[in-house]
Amino acid sequence: MVLKRPPEAGDILQGTLDMLVLRTLIMGPAHGHTIAQVIENMSENALEVEQGSLYPALHRLEDRGWLASEWGVSENNRKAKYYRLTPKGRKELAAATGRWRRMTRAIDLILGPETE
Amino acid sequence: MTMRRFIDRARKDEDLAQEIESHLAHEQDAQTARGVAPEEARRRARLRFGNPRTMRERVWRYRSLPWLDDAVRDLRFALRSLARTPGFAVVTLLVVAVGIGVNTAVFSVIDAVLLKPLTYPDPQALVQLVLTTNQGPFAVASIPEFALWSRQTSIFQQIAAYDFGAAGVNLTGSDHPEQVQAVHVTRDYFALFGAPVVAGRTFTAAEDSPNGGSVVVLSYGLWKQRYGGDPGIVGKTIQLDGQPYLVVGVIGRNFVTDTPVDLWIPDQFELNSHEMVVNYNVVARLRPGVTLAQANAQLRLVADQFRRAYGSRSLPPGGGFGAVSLQQFMVGDMRFPLLVLLGAVGFVLLIACANVANLLLARASARRRELATRAAIGAGRGQIIRQLLTESLVLALAGGLLGLILGFFGVRLLLRVNPGNIPRISATGPSISLDPRILLFTLGVSVITGVLFGLIPAIAASRSNLAATLNEGSSRSGTSFRQGKVRCLLVVSEVALALILVIGAALLIRTFHKLGAVDPGFTTHNVLTMAMSVSGDRFQTTAPVAQLVRDGQDRLQAVPGVLAAGASNCLPLESGFGMTFDILGRPKGNAPFTGGAGFYSISSGYFSSLEIPLLRGRVFTERDDATAPGVVVISQAMARQYWPNGDPLKDRIQIGVGAGPAFAEPPRQVVGIVGDTRNWSVDQNPAPMMYIPLAQMPDGETALNSKVAPLWWIVRTRGNPYTVLAPVEKALREASGDLAVAHIRTIDEVEARNIARQRFNMVLLTIFGLSGLLMAAIGVYGVMSYSVQQRTHEMGVRMALGAQAWHLRRMVIGQGMMLALLGEAVGLAGACWLTRLLASFLFGVKPWDPMAFVATPLLLSMIALLAVWIPAQRATRVDPMTALRLE
Repeated sequence: MVLKRPPEAGDILQGTLDMLVLRTLIMGPAHGHTIAQVIENMSENALEVEQGSLYPALHRLEDRGWLASEWGVSENNRKAKYYRLTPKGRKELAAATGRWRRMTRAIDLILGPETE
Repeated sequence: MTMRRFIDRARKDEDLAQEIESHLAHEQDAQTARGVAPEEARRRARLRFGNPRTMRERVWRYRSLPWLDDAVRDLRFALRSLARTPGFAVVTLLVVAVGIGVNTAVFSVIDAVLLKPLTYPDPQALVQLVLTTNQGPFAVASIPEFALWSRQTSIFQQIAAYDFGAAGVNLTGSDHPEQVQAVHVTRDYFALFGAPVVAGRTFTAAEDSPNGGSVVVLSYGLWKQRYGGDPGIVGKTIQLDGQPYLVVGVIGRNFVTDTPVDLWIPDQFELNSHEMVVNYNVVARLRPGVTLAQANAQLRLVADQFRRAYGSRSLPPGGGFGAVSLQQFMVGDMRFPLLVLLGAVGFVLLIACANVANLLLARASARRRELATRAAIGAGRGQIIRQLLTESLVLALAGGLLGLILGFFGVRLLLRVNPGNIPRISATGPSISLDPRILLFTLGVSVITGVLFGLIPAIAASRSNLAATLNEGSSRSGTSFRQGKVRCLLVVSEVALALILVIGAALLIRTFHKLGAVDPGFTTHNVLTMAMSVSGDRFQTTAPVAQLVRDGQDRLQAVPGVLAAGASNCLPLESGFGMTFDILGRPKGNAPFTGGAGFYSISSGYFSSLEIPLLRGRVFTERDDATAPGVVVISQAMARQYWPNGDPLKDRIQIGVGAGPAFAEPPRQVVGIVGDTRNWSVDQNPAPMMYIPLAQMPDGETALNSKVAPLWWIVRTRGNPYTVLAPVEKALREASGDLAVAHIRTIDEVEARNIARQRFNMVLLTIFGLSGLLMAAIGVYGVMSYSVQQRTHEMGVRMALGAQAWHLRRMVIGQGMMLALLGEAVGLAGACWLTRLLASFLFGVKPWDPMAFVATPLLLSMIALLAVWIPAQRATRVDPMTALRLE
């Protein structure tokens, strides 16, 4: 079955959101709204998570076994679905981060030092 | 990888919906916390999130295999839409089922006869050894030939000779003697065919040698029926023709033989014999790695060797030895007829396809608005075609399933029709069973059928002009010109195919009638025939046989209700021997003999019991016995051929010239000329015949005869022959010292069996032809009534403008008949080309028989007229006011 897409280059943007989500969850379980907020805040609002893609990504990551989820009660006393990182997800985060760093370094080398 | 993705989609979607709700709530909280009013906060949250439904659909799609989903949806839709039109569904299903059913039935027969491997181990290595001649191969061999062949160990691993078991033996030594089928075999026979031994053993080399003792191997059937499956049967002795035989083994139930066999007796060949009588069937198993071509190459050398050893006349000029695959040989001449039948049912299927395609086209036109609406709300052309094809496939597969059931019972019905002697199929039908090949065939045919009849309508329907269709008034939405053309084309091909089938059927019907009308040269009504085995020791010379025949004939004639009785060594219509002869005093040039003719040895009552007319001279009397001068009666055909100008009654002939010492006899005076008879089969012209008195046979010939053929009794009765069967059997037992008769049949039955194959072909092709005809008629009717319905408005206008009812009727009939006639013209051309294939099935009828080629199109035209008349009548009943108001 061709369900698994190779995580290599070319699909970096799709993979980026996954990586960011995994990274967010390293600090502990969170629900979807929090994850989106955290990503936006940590990037100094440079990245805005398109919420239409966030949930498909969460479900995809869960199907792959990188996340686990359960329903709980949020800080606002509302029902919310909490996601947390699985050991498999932690491993994937490490791998994805490594790939990302190698790639940005390579791109930096090509672009050269900032000349503004 | 995760299958989890596809599982439990509905629950996960529900989960996602709640998650979205939760997200919106949290966003709203966040907005409120920034001081936004609750209503506005709610609006902003929604705005920021986007359309939740789109997202849910995205996740849903991610969790699905699109094509599977589509297929399931198409399937559901197809079932729903078929259920809405049950009438259409049922008619279509039936047409498809009939089309596929007949194909499955015929394919089952082909499967059993042609495709299934023989039930023997490693059947590909089995070869039939034959005598090759200018007239084709003959599967007959003599002892010297077998002896020479069995020495070819470089090509043959095993070899066995067996006789045809026609003579039968008498199982005696109990209260009810019985005639059973005994086959004489050489010792390797059982190993060669892999016969399972359930008790004891088969023959040893010593037992299969001259003076090897009297031993026998029983079949499973005889062991069970006659001996109740006695476990201690091996080692016991049974009586065959009054002689004790030691039972050495029993063969298992599953062993298949070409003719039924009750027991086997060793051949005990004298391998140095020079006896040239060809009375054996020889089958061999090729050594592993030896090809058929290699075997045949060696057999050519063996034939030369045989000629050198036994003289140039030991093989016919141009004759030789050969090996052919046993399976191919057994199937023999059935291959071509079966393939022709398959072609014929293929036609039926094509007609069914055309018919269903037509129905689907009509249906698609009725659904144009539905399809256009679907297209308008975004269905692509491919999706519409797929949808329609799904419906066709549903119909085809359901029809195929029905057809499989139909075919399954159809085959059993077919075999009831009595196919005569199709090899590898017994009338009881055990050798035809559903196997994966048949299932696969039916499935394949169903799918092909579905695509075939579904594709054209689907493409046509998907091509429609959206806006035009949607804007059209519903009542006027007619068939587009292109669709009309397609439908007409389909009807024309249906009619053409049906005509070809019916012409084929007509030819076979004529053939069968011609065969039935053939005068075999003797009376067939109220004549009973039966076989008595004279294989025992006491009938190895002529005198006791002559005594038995005279005594039996006297006793039979004394039975009340018996008009005449006689005996013969052959049964007319089924068998005969051939014999060479010289006419004394006539020079024969370089030829070894003057000629050859059929040869029967008969009793004095033979001619009168069959009412064969005496044309000149006299028939035999009881005085023509061994002590009297030799006499012979010849047939008219022989007189014409060999005495075109002379008088045969003045000549003497020498029979059996060059046939060997067993046939040596003094010359015979021709004493009479009788009418011609068809002794080999109904469809063969009468051959020249010689008849001699049974009492004047040379002893050696009688011995040989008793070994290869039974004595046939022929009894003509006043009424139904079976009413006197009991006294006739009793009379024969008394005359023969308690021998039973077998193969009890009337000559009518013999004749029916003789033409059973032709009858089988005729019945089949008639069924195919009629179903094709019916479907074509439905097709013509369908197209015309649809066209009338679509043109109601036009008819109304025409009537309003002054057209009379007969104008309209003539117009509709004219158009319908145009299609039919066009189809017939195409069909006639096709039939001219195709009936050549039937040539070998025909008797007394030419493949271009004018009767068939004129009567059949007339019949078809009449049926087409009937099919067109109904819609034409409907056209005249159009009320112009109503038709115009529909606007």
